[in-house]
Amino acid sequence: MTIFGEIAQITLRALLGRRRTLLMLLLAAIPILVGLLVRANARPGPVDVGAFLDAIVIRVVLPLVALVFGTAALGSELEDGTAVHVLTKPIRRSTIVLAKITVAGTLTAALLVPSTIVAGMLIAGLLNTRPGSDPITATFAIGLGVLVGSYLYAAIFVALSIVTSRGLLVGLGYALIWEGILAGLLPGSQVFSVREYVRGIAETLEPSSIESIVGSSAVAYAAIALVAASVIASLRLAVYEVRGGE
Amino acid sequence: MSGPDAALVLERVSRWYGNVVAVNDVSFSLGPGITGLLGPNGAGKTTILHMLAGLLRPSAGRVSVGGQVAWRNPAVYRSVGLVPEREAVHAFLTGRAFVEMAARLQRLPDPRAAAARAITTVDLEGAADRPVGTYSKGMRQRVKIAGALVHEPPILLLDEPFNGMDPRQRLHMIGLLRTMAEAGRAILFSSHILEEVERLADGVLVIHAGRLAASGDFREIRRLMTDRPHTFVVRSSDDRRLAAAFMTEPAVFGTELRDGRLTVRVAEFGGFTRAVARVARGASVSLFEVAPTDDSLESVFAYLVSRR
Repeated sequence: MTIFGEIAQITLRALLGRRRTLLMLLLAAIPILVGLLVRANARPGPVDVGAFLDAIVIRVVLPLVALVFGTAALGSELEDGTAVHVLTKPIRRSTIVLAKITVAGTLTAALLVPSTIVAGMLIAGLLNTRPGSDPITATFAIGLGVLVGSYLYAAIFVALSIVTSRGLLVGLGYALIWEGILAGLLPGSQVFSVREYVRGIAETLEPSSIESIVGSSAVAYAAIALVAASVIASLRLAVYEVRGGE
Repeated sequence: MSGPDAALVLERVSRWYGNVVAVNDVSFSLGPGITGLLGPNGAGKTTILHMLAGLLRPSAGRVSVGGQVAWRNPAVYRSVGLVPEREAVHAFLTGRAFVEMAARLQRLPDPRAAAARAITTVDLEGAADRPVGTYSKGMRQRVKIAGALVHEPPILLLDEPFNGMDPRQRLHMIGLLRTMAEAGRAILFSSHILEEVERLADGVLVIHAGRLAASGDFREIRRLMTDRPHTFVVRSSDDRRLAAAFMTEPAVFGTELRDGRLTVRVAEFGGFTRAVARVARGASVSLFEVAPTDDSLESVFAYLVSRR
């Protein structure tokens, strides 16, 4: 097994072996449960798949699940001291960071892409979806956006957990305050919003799915943000100092 | 030891956290053999070990390990094994899986065989296939040591390695570290227990309040520790007469009678303990109790620092 695979495997076991797995499964089930409720109580009038998935998956569930996995992948190990057993090996710091981002992003995507598709299909199955839209294509477009967003959020939250021991709190602040409040007040700030990149990717793939400010530039923005977060995380880990000395 | 053969070198190293100085202008140079890093809790031992292990940046000075700079240099871990004080090991891993992981991360050609050797070395074969979460403190300590020496590094750093070990495990570990030192390895371990260092170390570095209080051969430091000013509390049949008699002794430089208690300040531990019975007999006073009052390690370390 490669060094990357070894670190990824131990990270995966650490992330799955705790109560957080159950909590994340519950979070991932929310879009499906709400989709079922909407379907059961369908009223006359158009139902917008894009608006539905945006409100539940893109705005709430995606950042929350990615935040938990992203900050736990490395941040928890730095906090509890188990990371020392990996840090004191002759391994490039970028290898450690990429393995952590890959695992956190894959777990997030593995839970949320199927959840997004199933929830979207539940809504798309309704007869009275928005005229002129293709709800099934929109669902898959948003699912792909969520896939990219999973890795992007994971990279940002892994980096945050190295930069600060309060990664969870700062990450929550980013998702709630920056993306949630400031993006509405200052439209320009949406250029620096993962949520907007997810929307932009979905819109690029299926223009009727959802509207975004960044449009097709989202792909480039997302790629730059992913690389920047990975590089910053690697550089910060290279100068990471253990806590708890005397 | 100094020069190119030195495995572990600190040159005028300081480390501070904000306004707090954790390590203050410490220099030493160590070669093969076992050295004890002795000092009370909070003295700066872990900070020194973490700087040597490349896990902390020195605020000033130079730290090198095996001829290489330790900070920001993961390559140094090919020749260094670190046993941290914190017990943290992934609880879901078996002892064997943990050591095999360490072997694979070191890119050893046969990780399974290397892990089996390390597990045998620390006498953990019986529990190797149990999850670490079920281990006692001593067993966790041993599995961490197995993980640190799986690649047979020439330099081993251990932070309070005997914590949680029972006497039999301690003896085994002392034997193991001695064997490794005889094979030419440089071993530096920290401890706040004098007797532990005395039993194992060839040399000793005494750290107090971030400063190097003493270094060198253990017997010499032991003598310095013994021959320092001491204070004794004495109970006798006539404290007043005994106090007067003590004042004629060259080893004594002060007596005090307060609250029915005789306190004697002496210049030298050995001289006073040899003289006390003779002085009491000469004064026809019966001794009930002679007890040193300041024999804590803290006071010993403070004295060693004040001498420098």
